[in-house]
Amino acid sequence: MSSADVVVVGAGLSGLSAAIAAAQSGARVQVLAKGHAGTHWGTGGLDVAALPGSATPREALGRLAAMPGHPYGLLAQDVQGSIEWLGAILAGRGLAYEGGLDSPLARVPTSIGGTRLAAILPAAQAPAARPWDAGETLVVCGVAGFKDFWPDAIAASLARPRFWGDRPGPESVLAVSAELPGMTERHNLNALALARRFDDPAWREEAIRAISAAVDATLRRAAHAGTVRVALPAVIGLDDHAAAFAQLSDRLVGQPFEMPLVPPSVPGVRLYRALRGALLEAGGRVLIGEVISRVERDGNRVTAVATSAASREYRVRTDSVVLATGGIAGGGLVADMEGQFEEAVLGLPVEAPPREEWLSADPFEPEGHPLESAGIRTDGDLRPIDTAGAPILENVRVVGASLAGQRPLRQGCKAGVSVASGQRAGRALGALSAGWAAGAGAVQTAGPNLVETGSVRP
Amino acid sequence: MSIAELVAEASLEHVGYSSDECLKCNVCNTVCPVARVTDLFPGPKYVGPQAARFRSGRTSPVQVKDWPILASPDVTVDYCSGCGWCTTACPAGVKIAEMNSQSRARLRAGHRPKLRDWGLGQTDLTGRMGVLFSPIGNFALSNRLVRWGMETFFGIHRKAPFPKFSRRTFQSTWKRRQKRRGLPLAPRRLAAAPAALPAALPGPDKAVVYFHGCAVNYYEPHVANAAIAVLERNGFAVIVPPQVCCGLPLISNGLYADARGKAHENLEVLADYARRGYKIVGTSTSCTHTIKAEYREMLDLHDDDSTVVANATWDICEFLLDLHEQGRLNTDFGRLDEDLPYHAPCQLRSHGIGLPAMDLFALVPGLRARDMDHDCCGIAGTYGMKKEKYDIGMAVGGPLFAKVKASGAAEAACDSETCRWQIEKASGVRTKHPVEILQAAYLAGDKARHQEAAGVGSN
Repeated sequence: MSSADVVVVGAGLSGLSAAIAAAQSGARVQVLAKGHAGTHWGTGGLDVAALPGSATPREALGRLAAMPGHPYGLLAQDVQGSIEWLGAILAGRGLAYEGGLDSPLARVPTSIGGTRLAAILPAAQAPAARPWDAGETLVVCGVAGFKDFWPDAIAASLARPRFWGDRPGPESVLAVSAELPGMTERHNLNALALARRFDDPAWREEAIRAISAAVDATLRRAAHAGTVRVALPAVIGLDDHAAAFAQLSDRLVGQPFEMPLVPPSVPGVRLYRALRGALLEAGGRVLIGEVISRVERDGNRVTAVATSAASREYRVRTDSVVLATGGIAGGGLVADMEGQFEEAVLGLPVEAPPREEWLSADPFEPEGHPLESAGIRTDGDLRPIDTAGAPILENVRVVGASLAGQRPLRQGCKAGVSVASGQRAGRALGALSAGWAAGAGAVQTAGPNLVETGSVRP
Repeated sequence: MSIAELVAEASLEHVGYSSDECLKCNVCNTVCPVARVTDLFPGPKYVGPQAARFRSGRTSPVQVKDWPILASPDVTVDYCSGCGWCTTACPAGVKIAEMNSQSRARLRAGHRPKLRDWGLGQTDLTGRMGVLFSPIGNFALSNRLVRWGMETFFGIHRKAPFPKFSRRTFQSTWKRRQKRRGLPLAPRRLAAAPAALPAALPGPDKAVVYFHGCAVNYYEPHVANAAIAVLERNGFAVIVPPQVCCGLPLISNGLYADARGKAHENLEVLADYARRGYKIVGTSTSCTHTIKAEYREMLDLHDDDSTVVANATWDICEFLLDLHEQGRLNTDFGRLDEDLPYHAPCQLRSHGIGLPAMDLFALVPGLRARDMDHDCCGIAGTYGMKKEKYDIGMAVGGPLFAKVKASGAAEAACDSETCRWQIEKASGVRTKHPVEILQAAYLAGDKARHQEAAGVGSN
């Protein structure tokens, strides 16, 4: 009971990237999503590529692009531009990111006391990626009563050199908990509630004083001299994050940085909100709680999608569809009891290893779990293709974690694939609808690879 | 039945089973408007799917005679406003808000309800009394001493938004109007054979059944007038069969058994019409959602009547936009040169039908409607009227009120009545139902055409 030029299914990083790109080209965009997920579960970082032995994301990206069947084989040339494009959008909404394809892949400490390779991070996480000076101390500062961040456990683990791989870590790691005003008696203190407290300037002032005092006392006890970095749980403000973090940086003796936590991920929620805000500003619409129940086709084109609303469906006529439903975790790919995979919305064929390869002896195989690579095979325009390589649906684009051939957990390529594919799909479909609007019903072609046949806009 | 079938059935029909799908990912906690502003509510995950494991027999219906009374372990569930954002945002399809409503009803089962909660559920009773004694009722509701008494003795906050009672109910006005026009009143039961349709009752292609809801009946007859005018302009006669409160205020106050009574009364009448092919159109987006979804999901009324009525029920903007999609909507809208802040109520979002009012506003020339993009106004039916929850409600809606005020607009729009009262009271901006705006646009169109015909137009 509505209509759009572009319907985007899924509101994660890839879906929102596609939606923004399409809306910026003037298309009427509706994002329909089952719920929140990807962004709210992730670290908020923009991982492009991270392989052990690679110095930079660009180097790792090159290695991934050379792997047969990897989405970067199609997308590699778009990655830098799309990440810079997204970074500018986020910065414009007050959420600055640091790092690029040529920044060193650093070992960034995590809130469970390990490290992970990362290069492009929110400004509040970025200080963790700078190389450690000789004699530098890391103070892990928790919040008393907050159960998602255990400074002693994190510090004990990070004190072991093996977690820092071939790179030097901090000389010493200390732990402390700060008692923040009114927070110690709460039963269900969670990251989001804390982050919202940091939005309140008066409370923030007191909290920063308490954090600063706790860090100073710890350093004094350790009789420390030298430079200091302070790791804090990623809760330093939600709506007023930039100001809160700047104030904290001013006041602490060492350089603070945020460690992303278990969900709900505050940096992820910030990322989602910034992208959603950018989309609304560009004229798009986001509807959450919409599960696609039916798809209408005309030949090899999707003409409408319908969601299962209360007692009746909500039908949206559309010129094109971006499938950004995610992989297995996001619910975009589903398997039946017999081990047959199917794509959840359009029923597209899924490229996946046979069932007997699903189970492996080592759950943490160096190459990643075989199932990670499951996904949908596309052509260069990101249209889904059959085994013969022919496009199955002309006006559908597949983006993000649904794409076959990537192992995002092991290859650290999730954000790069999502943003590059999202931007490419959104721009192409947006240009197409703009062409339609300009051509008033004439059959349009847009771009050398993008030929829409027999498509006349009603 | 195979395991797969059992799983499928459980995930479709039973709110309680859906907690098995919970990943504990906390997404619901990130969108909860109540947890955003107060520590008194720990968040939907904690009181919903997380506490569900402590509720034995969780799939059994609530407050049904001969079913055991099962306690809920967590009393903080009472601070859930029932806005439904958690269910909307859940990536795993857990019916969290529904689970919380049922848990609240379990808390109440076997206890005599608070007079306040019982009273807030009795919208028909308070409405009828209020209309009967409307001068006294309206004086009382605007009298500080009376409001102080209501707060002190009943727990209804002194600043809670209450509209003025009408001088007469919409139903009695409607009866007079039908009599004046020489038209019959819609019968309670349509006779069995189609041929026996009362001759003057237009068929389902030319008429719709109007579900007016309590707000229209006792407080806002102007919404009904606008809705009827808009429907008639589009070629639909309006049928108003006997009806009672949809039952939602009872559901939100944990009085499921009473709510079932209301539901049965309505279903008995409406099912007859629905089976004849009539669409049931409502102006209260919360009533229409209750009929569409909650009779079955919350009250466990899984019979043929509840299904046929649910499938026939439409929110009025959904209905009008559907007409437009079919190319049948009269779009002779005149120019409305104004800014219009719009709030999409939580209940509308639970319909899952997009933003039909915004799509309709886009058809009105000159109208600059803007979605305020705020989660909840805080009133949540009767939640924000309660003494202990008023401040929570105001804090939830705070950013919305500020945005509406800052827009500088003369009026705002919202599909749900209690939200309209809350926004209007808190922002000071007159807040209307979208059909009132559409009717104004039609009238502006009439006026322009009239002027043109009379040669008064600018060209």
